[in-house]
Amino acid sequence: MSGDNALNLPEDLKTRALENARQATPVEALAPLRQEALAALEGAAFPGRKTEAWKYTSLYALTDGHLAARAEGAAPEDLPRLSDYRLVLVNGRLDERHTTLPEGVSLGRRASRLEGLTTPFALYNGAALEDAVTLDVAANTDVSAPIQVLHVSAGDAPSHCNTRLEVNLAAGSRLTLIEQYLGAGPVLTNAVTAIQAADNARLTHYRLQADAGDSLHIGTLLFQQTGVSRIDSYQLMAGNRLRRNDVRAFLDKSGAELNMHGIFVARDRSHIDNQLCVEHRVPECTSNQVYRGLAGEKGRAVLNGRIHIHPGAKGTLAELSNKNLLLNPGAEIDTKPELEIYNDDVKCAHGATVGQLDALQQFYLQSRGIPLAEAKRMLSLGFVNELIMSLPDQTVADWAQPWLAAELGQRPGADEEAA
Amino acid sequence: MLEIRDLHASVAGQPILKGLNLTVKPGEVHAIMGPNGSGKSTLANVLAGRDNYEITGGEALFEGKSLAELEPEERAQLGLFLAFQYPVEIPGVSNMEFLKAALEATRAAQGKEEWDSVTLLRKAREACKQVDLDPQFLKRGVNEGFSGGEKKRNEIMQMLLMEPKLALLDETDSGLDIDALQTVAKGVNSLRGPERGIVLVTHYQRLLDYIVPDHVHVLSGGRIIKSGGKELALELEQHGYGWLTDDQNGGNDKEDRTA
Repeated sequence: MSGDNALNLPEDLKTRALENARQATPVEALAPLRQEALAALEGAAFPGRKTEAWKYTSLYALTDGHLAARAEGAAPEDLPRLSDYRLVLVNGRLDERHTTLPEGVSLGRRASRLEGLTTPFALYNGAALEDAVTLDVAANTDVSAPIQVLHVSAGDAPSHCNTRLEVNLAAGSRLTLIEQYLGAGPVLTNAVTAIQAADNARLTHYRLQADAGDSLHIGTLLFQQTGVSRIDSYQLMAGNRLRRNDVRAFLDKSGAELNMHGIFVARDRSHIDNQLCVEHRVPECTSNQVYRGLAGEKGRAVLNGRIHIHPGAKGTLAELSNKNLLLNPGAEIDTKPELEIYNDDVKCAHGATVGQLDALQQFYLQSRGIPLAEAKRMLSLGFVNELIMSLPDQTVADWAQPWLAAELGQRPGADEEAA
Repeated sequence: MLEIRDLHASVAGQPILKGLNLTVKPGEVHAIMGPNGSGKSTLANVLAGRDNYEITGGEALFEGKSLAELEPEERAQLGLFLAFQYPVEIPGVSNMEFLKAALEATRAAQGKEEWDSVTLLRKAREACKQVDLDPQFLKRGVNEGFSGGEKKRNEIMQMLLMEPKLALLDETDSGLDIDALQTVAKGVNSLRGPERGIVLVTHYQRLLDYIVPDHVHVLSGGRIIKSGGKELALELEQHGYGWLTDDQNGGNDKEDRTA
């Protein structure tokens, strides 16, 4: 690809996105959303090199032409099962054969959310949708077993899919949702998940992103706490060729509580960019964010954690902690907490660090006969172990442990580099 | 089993050991005493292979192999064990997980049979009991939030499990009250045997009331300036190090190779 193409990339992407959106053949229920999203997309600009929010993440990979084609591959036969209840979307389309849902949860092939989904990719997702899933959890329903939603992407050539999930928790309902992204091949998953929680609703949310290294992902996760509700979100994420996660939360009713915990790992040449934005729009809400990041080899990880406390949001409690570990000097992690506070009566704390493995801890393990590579793996795992230990669902913990062990394992050639 | 000849070593470029000679045979217990800053802890760390502790001259052979050429883990796998003066805290890595990794690596290297997890847990609990450490500590992060005494007992507990050929104890007595000192000494004594060498590095004589050494050496200015039997420790207790180190300072300018 020539430099000229890269220069025009934002415009190329937009042209392509609009063209695709106009040609999409959606189910009827999606028409209103599509029209609104399309109108917004027409006025939007795709990010370029100078866009601040995309400072550390280049879209250059998309010059391979991912937006020029829709992913058409078939899902693998063997799909992981983390619960009795499961939904499977393949390249954004619901595969009805796999659908099993508990009582009290109804499924609709529709989507309607627009507020808060402002990035051009989220707008494109809405404008070009051909299928979507909305789960409505009935009032005062306690769904005992988790619901696993699998987003599978598959394709052999550069292509993309739009995948969308909306979840509405009615008053007094409880749900455990496991969102899992699986993909292989040069497919860009353009994902939107929007979750709304009414009064006394309680959600335990998992976001597992373990796609293969050659896949790409740009996604928005939106929480809207319109009621006095509690959301606990656990996000386990591996870098891939391009991974960009925008997480946006609106705390819109006094007494709402949001807890987000995340682990992100960028090994080899992978990339992950987390853009977090928590909006405290009313008084007396609580948000707590704890993220741990690791990068090794030529991996690159980014976290931007914005906390926005609006005028009048008195009595806000907001915390953000992001500790990071560089496994070797070739890796890079950029982290930035960002506080925007428009009143005095708030309690805010934030901290971000980037460090390396402790030489003395390594020596202590080695002095007991543990080889250096294993010592490093143990220490890296120790760095994130607290979060893994705190996962409330055992099936997810059982999935997470081997996943992390593999993510943090030794890479070929690591010894030569260390020497 | 340990043969140190004219050893010179630097810490971060600063020469500390300046021609040290020491031979430890199987079954022997040696005590290395000396004033602060004499190089006692440097010796222990050099032998275990800590980063920035560099051998600049002479040699240290363990089981006939030059330690300078071995990684720290290879030394441990050969049967060398260092009980740290300041055991390291490792939050997030449980003591049990740590012991499992250590014992798997060393037992495999030494051709000993592998312990399954049930055996390992039983042995670890026994070892805890031996040093009066609550087995609950096995579940906690390595040394995480342990008191000074608990950390030292944890070192001895690991040593009991690893059954090293040569144990180096670096100021294991420092910071221990008399009860803890006796517990630790009992643990060390239980390891005494005809196949095993033990080197105690200590500033005070009191540890040697409980672990009676075969040989006592005085380290000063990076060299062993006097060696003797256990009675030498008592002499030091009465007179301090002054009468020895004054001599040493007098002869410092000459190439004195007293061993």
